[in-house]
Amino acid sequence: MCGIIGYVGTDRSDAADVLLHGLSQLEYRGYDSAGIALADGRLDVHKREGELSALEDALAGADIGGQTTGIGHTRWSTHGPPSDRNAHPHTDADGRVAVVHNGIIENYQTLRDELAAEGVDFRSDTDTEVVPHLIAGFLEEGLDDEAAFRAAIERLEGSYAVAAVFEGSETVYAARNESPLVLGVADDGTYLASDVPAFIEYTDRVIYLEDGEFARLEGDEIAVTDAEGRTVETSIETIEWDPEDAGKSGYDHYMRKEINEQPAALRDCLRGRLDELSGRVTLEGFEDLELRRPVTLVACGTSYHAALFGVQLLREWGVPAQAFLASEFEADAVPIDTDSVVVGVTQSGETADTLRALREASAAGATTVAVTNVVGSSAARETDRVLYIRAGPEISVAATKTFASQQAALTMLAASLSDHRSRELVRELRSVPDRIQSVLDEDAAREVAATYADASAYFFIGRGYNYPVALEGALKMKEITYKHAEGFAAGELKHGPLALVTEQTPVFAIVTGDGRRAEKTIGNVKEVEARGTPVVAVTDGQSEVGRYADHVLEVPPAGEITSSMVANVQLQRVAYWTAHELGRSIDKPRNLAKSVTVE
Amino acid sequence: MGYSAVVLAAGEGKRLRPLTTHRPKPMLPAATKPILEHVFDALIDAGVTDITVVVGYRRTRVQSEFGPSYRDVPLTYVTQGKQLGSGHALLAAEQAVEGSTLVVNGDQLIDSRIIRDVVEAHDGESTAATLGLVRRADVTRYGGVLLEDGEVTEIVENPRDDRSYRLNAGVYAFEPAIFEAIRESEPRAGEQSLVDGIDTLLEDGTRVQGVVSEGTWIDATYPWDLLRIADDLLEAGEGRRIADSASVHESATVIEPVVIDDDCVVGPGAVVGPNVCLGENATVGSNVTLERSVVDTDTRVDNGATVRDCVTGRGVEIGPNSTVVGGPGDVEIGDRIHRETSLGAVLADHVRDEGGVTYEPGSVVGNGAVCHVGATVGGTLSAETEVWG
Repeated sequence: MCGIIGYVGTDRSDAADVLLHGLSQLEYRGYDSAGIALADGRLDVHKREGELSALEDALAGADIGGQTTGIGHTRWSTHGPPSDRNAHPHTDADGRVAVVHNGIIENYQTLRDELAAEGVDFRSDTDTEVVPHLIAGFLEEGLDDEAAFRAAIERLEGSYAVAAVFEGSETVYAARNESPLVLGVADDGTYLASDVPAFIEYTDRVIYLEDGEFARLEGDEIAVTDAEGRTVETSIETIEWDPEDAGKSGYDHYMRKEINEQPAALRDCLRGRLDELSGRVTLEGFEDLELRRPVTLVACGTSYHAALFGVQLLREWGVPAQAFLASEFEADAVPIDTDSVVVGVTQSGETADTLRALREASAAGATTVAVTNVVGSSAARETDRVLYIRAGPEISVAATKTFASQQAALTMLAASLSDHRSRELVRELRSVPDRIQSVLDEDAAREVAATYADASAYFFIGRGYNYPVALEGALKMKEITYKHAEGFAAGELKHGPLALVTEQTPVFAIVTGDGRRAEKTIGNVKEVEARGTPVVAVTDGQSEVGRYADHVLEVPPAGEITSSMVANVQLQRVAYWTAHELGRSIDKPRNLAKSVTVE
Repeated sequence: MGYSAVVLAAGEGKRLRPLTTHRPKPMLPAATKPILEHVFDALIDAGVTDITVVVGYRRTRVQSEFGPSYRDVPLTYVTQGKQLGSGHALLAAEQAVEGSTLVVNGDQLIDSRIIRDVVEAHDGESTAATLGLVRRADVTRYGGVLLEDGEVTEIVENPRDDRSYRLNAGVYAFEPAIFEAIRESEPRAGEQSLVDGIDTLLEDGTRVQGVVSEGTWIDATYPWDLLRIADDLLEAGEGRRIADSASVHESATVIEPVVIDDDCVVGPGAVVGPNVCLGENATVGSNVTLERSVVDTDTRVDNGATVRDCVTGRGVEIGPNSTVVGGPGDVEIGDRIHRETSLGAVLADHVRDEGGVTYEPGSVVGNGAVCHVGATVGGTLSAETEVWG
């Protein structure tokens, strides 16, 4: 999982600046090393381990400038540790070609052995390095740049977005298979990148490259061809969102900005989809979806927690439904056929595991649905129907507003698929933005975070709708504080995890409503409290859980479905302020990347 | 013209309590949009291309509302840690600006004419500061400015004498000299005001000019002024619209002028208007009568309620068949009584009534107060109070 960028300028000659700026916008995809290759007669490659600033520092002393053409890469290790030599771009022995790559080359060991047998010296541990050597081999055979590039790509199996530049040329060649790659068209040149923000500052006119397609970028022209070399007619689309959305707007971290944007994001998510008077939810494009088998949701990470919440609602409203981790979907041998509906929940729409599961389902004849935030993403383009969560760009690696919007979107999807009509539900959903705002207006979460910042571990328990919230609360805590955190179904505590609980391990209990579930969870809280463990209750105050808690984080009351959405915001804030106390790199936690485009 | 502007939006606006508990005065609604949004509009309409916003009190409300840009103009936020006066606020922006800079208050309604007048009149070569002024009969609550041939001779805060003052509209063009002048001025009661900085310029013999503008300038001093502001804006035709995403039942009656914002719902048989502003996602139940009111975001007026001359905060619930009788009434704020004020009620954020509640004219109900079925509410209630019928 990495980010790539490429640029061919017409009249501007600051390719290095364009590439560095693009990489800074792609840092969310990975950031353990970065590099660029500039083509200007000879190839000029600069790369460094560490964040982009390390590369910028290295370039500050280098003699660069004046080039029109180049490619760049920000890396998140899949093969080989982060280091200068494993950083992209990679070149052949003579420095005739430089290559950047995102994805995984599955047959790289075979190719590497083959090349090594021919006497090629490998300088890195990466799978990518086979590509420049393959290209060089074809150049030796007398092929021109483009033909050599195509011939090399044909040898690759796996997922890739690849871009290459050649010595003595002002052209960038690219190819895509199962990894995101988008092209940009502007008056001052042509661009390619893993994601639009890399070049949105320069152009909002884009072409989405499809799997199996090749692109040749000249300064004033992009030619797209298929695997056989036939010209592909492409359409230029205009990106409508505001590039400035990528700014932090006065906050220290994107995560805090995005947590605070939740009321507005939810308004966008709900807009035009609810009818207060009839209690109906209307989702365009889902009216005629037939359900003959259990609805199957697949997702990873935070999206999987949202999916768990979604299937609870579907089942409660009479529709059989199940959720699977996308990476286990194949192993779980879920029966899928032409009667199946498979819903992939993925914020970025590029999550490799989820895309793989959707493709398998599609191949089995299922109707596929994407619930995603990114218009034009692979998931959105490859599935039969799309439900956009409309949360706006999310930059922080730890997902916050997109989880809330996924919960709201899946609630509406469940209501729509089950034809569940409820004025109460509509009214409740419409109250969520205001209730979240109330949570944001209070400082209690920050105080709790300060109190327990040196805890040895954190546990989160919840029942029913609050069980996925407990899992998500723990995931946020892990991701950004690097502390041990686990979420449990409240009833599971006594079946094992209770052995972990000490005075140093606060337990966060999410308890909403005053029904049977709340009562049972209070029972679990008492078990914990009896062992001298600090308890933080996240509650709407309907039950008596506050009496057994050391701290209470309030959730403005309403129905239980939406209270779980609001309760989650309290846990996001506890995680944020804990990471803040600990001085963590909140927006870019170690070892993680925003959208996981490798399996 | 490519001017940069600094907008001062860090102050709470204490006299507008309880509406400012969770947000600063610039974020209170003028019709349905925050006052600050009108200020941004005026600046951008006048050609400003870069805005620095000084935020402080409840700053996240401002940052989350506007984000990194507004109408494609980039917004830079600087934080005034403690609110120690308007001059102190401007100092917070010193690093963010260079050369001639426009400075405007973010909590008073202005239109682009005042800004244009100030920019046109300002000549940085000969003048360190140019003040935008308006003519008002009563300037006693504001800054009074005395002019001689377009040159400012004196600024008096809350003037009591009958000299012919112009009102300081809070729109300035400054040269960088202002920053030093603010630093030199003696803080008063721990606060550094912008006006004291200008005074220092005058004392140093620096030329300060004033330009009298015919542009709009409206300030909200007390919560019920939000009704007057809405009246003025609706009368001027500004904001009159029903958003596409709003749903108004076919049997409801809408009497212009009104503004109904995104996601609002107006139920069957409701009569809405004249002079009603419904903020985003507000709900008006069936058979509600709603007149001359500012109903803020996420507020619900339940079936059968009658509401007149009312200002609500966010997320208020007016229960079924409750009645806000309407003005005029006497309003208590602090130890002052404002007699015969045209106010039905001020209901701060998250006031909830269970239905059948009667609000006497001039009622002010604090945040999160709960009025149980059949209660009669009058006078001023503090936050989280409960009232039984």
